[in-house]
Amino acid sequence: MDITTEKVGDVTVATIHGENLDASNVSDFKRDVSPLVQANGKLVLDLHHVQFVDSAGCGAILSCVRQWNAVGGEVVLCAVTKPVRALFDLVRFHRILDIVPTREEAAKAFGH
Amino acid sequence: MSVAQRRQVRLDTPGLEEAFRQHARFSVAREWQDLPARALFQSVGLTVRDRIVELLLETERRYRQADAKRLYYLSMEFLMGRSLGNNLCNLGLHDAYRDALQKLGTSLDDLEENESDAALGNGGLGRLAACFLDSLATLGMPGFGYGLNYEYGLFKQEIHNGFQVEKPDNWLAKGTPWEFKRPDEACVVPLYGRIEHGQDRHGNYNPMWLDWKVIIGVPYDLPIVGYGGRTVNYLRLYSATSSQDFDMGIFNAGDYLKAVEQKMLSETISKVLYPSDAIESGRELRLIQEYFLVACAIRDIVQRYQEKHKTFQEFPSKIAIQLNDTHPSLAVAELMRLLVDEVELGWDEAWEITRATLGYTNHTLLPEALEKFSVPLLEHVLPRHLQIIYEINRRFLEQVAAARPGDDGRLQRMSLIEESQPKQVRMAHLAIAGSHSVNGVAALHTELLKTSLFADFTALWPERFNNKTNGVTQRRWLLKANPALADLLTRTVGDGWITDLSRLRDLEPHAQERGFQQEFLAVKRANKERLAKVIEETALVTVDPDSLFDVQIKRMHEYKRQLLNVLHIIHEYLCMVEDKQAPLVPKTYIFAGKAAPGYWAAKQIIKLINNVARTINHDRRVGGRLRVVFIPDYRVSLAEVIIPAADLSEQISTAGKEASGTGNMKLAMNGALTIGTLDGANIEIMEEVGADNIFIFGLKAQEVQALRARGAYRPAEYYQRSPLIRRVVDTFRTDVFCPQESGLFGWIYQRILEPGEQYFHLADLESYTAAQEKAAQTYTDRPAWARKAILNVARMEKFSSDRTIAEYARDIWGIRPVV
Repeated sequence: MDITTEKVGDVTVATIHGENLDASNVSDFKRDVSPLVQANGKLVLDLHHVQFVDSAGCGAILSCVRQWNAVGGEVVLCAVTKPVRALFDLVRFHRILDIVPTREEAAKAFGH
Repeated sequence: MSVAQRRQVRLDTPGLEEAFRQHARFSVAREWQDLPARALFQSVGLTVRDRIVELLLETERRYRQADAKRLYYLSMEFLMGRSLGNNLCNLGLHDAYRDALQKLGTSLDDLEENESDAALGNGGLGRLAACFLDSLATLGMPGFGYGLNYEYGLFKQEIHNGFQVEKPDNWLAKGTPWEFKRPDEACVVPLYGRIEHGQDRHGNYNPMWLDWKVIIGVPYDLPIVGYGGRTVNYLRLYSATSSQDFDMGIFNAGDYLKAVEQKMLSETISKVLYPSDAIESGRELRLIQEYFLVACAIRDIVQRYQEKHKTFQEFPSKIAIQLNDTHPSLAVAELMRLLVDEVELGWDEAWEITRATLGYTNHTLLPEALEKFSVPLLEHVLPRHLQIIYEINRRFLEQVAAARPGDDGRLQRMSLIEESQPKQVRMAHLAIAGSHSVNGVAALHTELLKTSLFADFTALWPERFNNKTNGVTQRRWLLKANPALADLLTRTVGDGWITDLSRLRDLEPHAQERGFQQEFLAVKRANKERLAKVIEETALVTVDPDSLFDVQIKRMHEYKRQLLNVLHIIHEYLCMVEDKQAPLVPKTYIFAGKAAPGYWAAKQIIKLINNVARTINHDRRVGGRLRVVFIPDYRVSLAEVIIPAADLSEQISTAGKEASGTGNMKLAMNGALTIGTLDGANIEIMEEVGADNIFIFGLKAQEVQALRARGAYRPAEYYQRSPLIRRVVDTFRTDVFCPQESGLFGWIYQRILEPGEQYFHLADLESYTAAQEKAAQTYTDRPAWARKAILNVARMEKFSSDRTIAEYARDIWGIRPVV
């Protein structure tokens, strides 16, 4: 699994390339995403390639969110596919962070 | 010819022949003349399926256009049996296919024998679900079944030395033409894990369900063809597969075998149907099966609803969900979880929607059959659902306490949680609390639910309780199973009865006519000959079609009292060999039924029947006036042969134990007279056919209840008082029925003489014997018997599942025909 990052203004956009985020690659995810943490920073995780997330994958995203929140940062998830959204809803992710359809809306979501 | 063209089947003989050949070539990859029997069935089945597909799509279009309210019938069991003949009958194509196949040198009857029964059920509950689907489709109502696609249905039964031996029933091994796999509609089902108690962004409590494992539910649709072919609904069955072909984490780590093992464990969920009475042995898997069905069904139902609706306010006006017994009662917690956790509705609104959507049918009064799951198990498998159940219970008990202040006993009795060690979740209480309707399945059963089992709930919510007496579909059980009688009825009163059973009332004037009686008896005689052949082939016993066929076919269970039947047979046998007194008419006692593999007593009774049969059938003194047979591997397709041939229908459960029964209805519909107790739907059958046309005996439910309550049932007193009883019971102290297996049936002597014996065998034996004598006496008068049998057929209107479904639709579901 590859993760590419780009800066759009003050927002970091990380795109996950890979159909699965699961036990087999969560360590890659953590390795690549952890260094991005910034105090008061803004991270968008673009998940449009991802078709399946297992509980390890959910755990990894949750820990990423907590890392950012701990230093005053914010994380928004965008372009989540239908099967993955079902799993995020199950975990009640939408109660602790924004999940939006597009990158553009992700940018707007910051600053709530 | 293009694929599209091939799908259009012309219904004349040349058109059908062409369609058969095309499917043989393009679907089975053989020439027609080279097809082995099973492939022949497959090719012909696929031509029927082609026809069904058009109707299925057309039906769905019609429902969508009307934005019709839909009913989803959730059941762990659907005992469908075979589909080819039934689909042909309902499409009106039976004769066309028979003729076309005959021209090609193939018999449709033989072809049907190549179809495996879809035995995805144990007995009445599963078969009821199948009859309901037939009626829903025939009535043009948007009603769909949701169940599990068990790889192994109910076991196949073989008899070895009189004992039941279970063999796996891999009904899909040779494929089926009926299922449509829908992998694009698969859904994800979480299991296990833990709850992390946190807060959301607004500081509210936010329980997060983490560390779950997921199973994938893949739906398979079985089309359900309504009579006339106007409506084709579907039965959606889910198979479990692992979330990935292999768990990639393990696979990458190099542990190939462990990865395969995990995949297999996931797939275990839909592997096998639990035999009833055996659920204790595998509580965790059973719980997972039940949740798997509920999670897949609710996800699917909600997704379909969301295709047309943005909010959930209209959900109960567009969706009804019926829970067939408590097995799918986790639907209460799952729908709440989805509405509260995912849709973010407030608790009260979600609860209102849940209750308005769900209905619950109770099928049993037997305390041991009321499901409970331990709290630790639920916490382990479904931690979020346990939280929700606790919250439902907290609010529910507040309501009870407000209605009956200070009544702690009532709170304990009604709680969703039984305060045992370990604590148990009472699934029936969950289903009642979460449903707007709770129904029993026969008038007596509903009354007993209201006055005993659920009396506290009835006091709190009297408006929720109602009765829906079961029914059976006359298309399967008369038109398809008994074509000769169906033909006679149609010639006599027209074919309106096929969709309106009240039309058979027009038979009544013919019941007296000698000519009609003779035709009726000739049909029965031919059906008995057909059954006699099956008995010869399967039970290896020759029986006389002129003897009275006395039939007891049902699941083996002590409360159904196959043993009472055997006690009477022994009495008749002893009368013959000791008193030189032959029964008034030659009799053939026919049994069939499966015992749950772990139910020792039921299996012993099978052995007893077989041993008694061997003794009597080989005793020259009996001279063929008495025969006893146990036909192995009872299933829907076998019932279709036995029922049309029955003269006397044994419905002899201990009063108050049988919820309804449906075999009683199928047999009466086919002109068998009932010998029975005032139990379940027997009472209503008596009311309909008239007390003169049924043989009723035994204690009534309230008499049984009173004896039990006073601890006053002492079988030894009956034994002492009655020489008849004593002589029969004493045979179990000897080896007369087990000469090579000394002492084998000694337990029966002990059991039926125990004070308070719970099935009251000896209390009913003498009145049962008297009723049997009355039946035999009546049978000697052929015109009188025929008249009664015809009146039974004529008065079966109430027991059509069309009537039952119309009542459910009107009173509970609020659905209408969309035609």
